[in-house]
Amino acid sequence: MNIKINEDWLATIIAFVLLILAMVNVISAEMVKF
Amino acid sequence: MTTSAVKQEQKASPGVLNFIVGLAIVVALAFLARWFKDQVYGIKDLGGLGIPGKVLEFPIWAALVGLIANYILKAVKFFEYPKSGFRTELFLKIGLVLLGAGISFKVIVTAAGGAIIQGIIMVAAVYFFSWWLGGKFGLPDTLRAVMSTAVSICGVSAAIAAAGSVLAKKEEITYVTALVIVTALPLMVIAPLIAGALNMPEPVAGAWFGGNVDTTAAVVGAGTIYGETAQKIASIVKQTQNVLIGVVAFLLALYFTTVVEGKKEKPSASIIWQRFPKFVLGFLVASLIFTFGWIDKDVAGKAIGGMKDWAFCLAFVCMGLELEISGFKKMGWSPVIVYLIVTIFNTLLALAISWLIFGWLFPVSL
Repeated sequence: MNIKINEDWLATIIAFVLLILAMVNVISAEMVKF
Repeated sequence: MTTSAVKQEQKASPGVLNFIVGLAIVVALAFLARWFKDQVYGIKDLGGLGIPGKVLEFPIWAALVGLIANYILKAVKFFEYPKSGFRTELFLKIGLVLLGAGISFKVIVTAAGGAIIQGIIMVAAVYFFSWWLGGKFGLPDTLRAVMSTAVSICGVSAAIAAAGSVLAKKEEITYVTALVIVTALPLMVIAPLIAGALNMPEPVAGAWFGGNVDTTAAVVGAGTIYGETAQKIASIVKQTQNVLIGVVAFLLALYFTTVVEGKKEKPSASIIWQRFPKFVLGFLVASLIFTFGWIDKDVAGKAIGGMKDWAFCLAFVCMGLELEISGFKKMGWSPVIVYLIVTIFNTLLALAISWLIFGWLFPVSL
């Protein structure tokens, strides 16, 4: 399978999914501490 | 397509497993980079050299770990298999959208005002200087166009956009891409050191990195090393320049079809939208969400900040992994000399312009 999707949109979608998960406290600061 | 051609294509194109293996390598290396950073971060004097450990921020470790892995994977002939998982741009764009969720829209508008002026001056001056110097060194027009766009706007993605407009050869793109990364990596470390030595305020330093360092990844890296405000301003300035890619790609296509090839039909202006970096829209929407106060700074804000750092760390690891220098031998040293001279010109001009604009005309405070 060849993965072909516009990288800009893909990155935006992934970032917003992460953003929403953080906003509803599914992802906490402790889980992703850098 | 014949059955054998289909089989050949299936064999040649990377699969999901290749991507997953590549991604696993990148994630493991990012953990390693973080571990190195944690080990030295608290040290006040590294090896008695007077260098505090916190100078060695994670972009340096990530790029270094990536470079070493690049060398090892090539030495054991296991580089091609996981290569499709090495996605600098993808991780970088995720990180940039998340970064937007921590910047007020007002700051973006103020900084973008200065960045547009800086961008227009820098892109025009550096582009034409590079084009002129490339001509003096006898470089082919297509290589001059790709190189000038790369050095004046935004490294790799600009080089690819320009190459499409002027129908450059594949090896010219590979060559310029390698040049961009080879110069951007040391600049990512050197630029913050110079900024520190000049005692530059963070917004000015950020604007300088954004206008000077060629790839967005290295810009963010340099900003991260210098400080949080520098990271934000550098990212805004660089993304403003990236937006200009489409305009330059259109003008180049117009010049090459009408002047160089002498054709009457003109390229479509839709190229401006095609080349527009769409993730910038995500960055702006994320900033609006933050500005409306929908993100709790102390809870969600910290989690978003952590994910942003992870995304950038993955991008810097990939930057080290993707470095390719084998193409240099094929084209000789003239383009390297041109590129280095233009980079020095770019660095000095950006320094003066960023002081003028962000230190005086559009001072930004976060």
